[in-house]
Amino acid sequence: MGLIKKLPVYSEKIPGGAIVTTSLESVLHFAQAKSLWYLLFGTACCAIELMCTGASRYDFDRLGMMFRASPRQSDLIIAAGTITKKMAPRLRRLYDQMAEPRYVIAMGGCTIKGGPFYYDSYAVEKGIDHIVPVDIYIPGCPPRPESLMEGCLHLSEKIRRQKLLDWQEK
Amino acid sequence: MTTEQLKDYIASRFPVMMTLLETGRREPMYEVKAGQLLEVCRALRDDETLKFNYLCNIGAVDTQERLEIVYSIASVPNRLRLDFKVVLPREGASIESVQEIWPAANWYEREMWELYGVDVKAHDNLKRFLLPDDWDKGHPMRKDWDDPDFVRFPEIE
Repeated sequence: MGLIKKLPVYSEKIPGGAIVTTSLESVLHFAQAKSLWYLLFGTACCAIELMCTGASRYDFDRLGMMFRASPRQSDLIIAAGTITKKMAPRLRRLYDQMAEPRYVIAMGGCTIKGGPFYYDSYAVEKGIDHIVPVDIYIPGCPPRPESLMEGCLHLSEKIRRQKLLDWQEK
Repeated sequence: MTTEQLKDYIASRFPVMMTLLETGRREPMYEVKAGQLLEVCRALRDDETLKFNYLCNIGAVDTQERLEIVYSIASVPNRLRLDFKVVLPREGASIESVQEIWPAANWYEREMWELYGVDVKAHDNLKRFLLPDDWDKGHPMRKDWDDPDFVRFPEIE
């Protein structure tokens, strides 16, 4: 799957020694991209697929992704499920409680544009990008675990590609 | 007691206060005048033959001309079910709370008050229930409710 690409991007081994020189940027982003801990934030049926992805058959852990029950320990929110207008301030609050750098994946149609609740609903927020900045959108209702994993791999790539302290400008 | 026996009993016990409605369904549906609601409910609960001691649900229907409040009750000891409704005007709808008879009514009445704008008299905790705490856009389950963010399903030809 090409998960491990070009370990430190610019590295140089000093002859005769056990020392490797590389850039801080590549090592930092390598570490970030390979240990994305995500917040347990399942609000609807997408959470079932998220649980399935986390369980042994799809095994999220092999991407270095482990769920955390606290926003303080998380790097990523996978917003799995419908976000209602009442839930929206809570989502924002959890996002604000996370330490930077932080990332958001919008999983499923509901978080992208309201999904099946787009019409005739007074309660559902039409897309979580009104509330928090979203890095990756994963369409589906709900998306299969394969889609979710691909989305996470795309996020890893995105982190690898960013420049040092890019996230500060977000 | 079968459904037919229940109908007969209610016709003899409440000849004036409960009116049987034609619904085309097997289960009977009665109409109760808003002013007599508490009296009827208390009698239904305390009657030895009926003992309707369980409130299943309170629903509200907006027919665009009037509001209908539908009560579904059940009798656990006698294994009976019964539905009845109270018809209210759409403007200034107001109803007595039945929570002194069935305490379960508390939340249903809060929901009804919040989503349909039915004022519930003598309710002990009438405050926001399901909608966001800072909601100020009216009663969203009313048919004529609208909001800039609210998108109606397009008409299908």
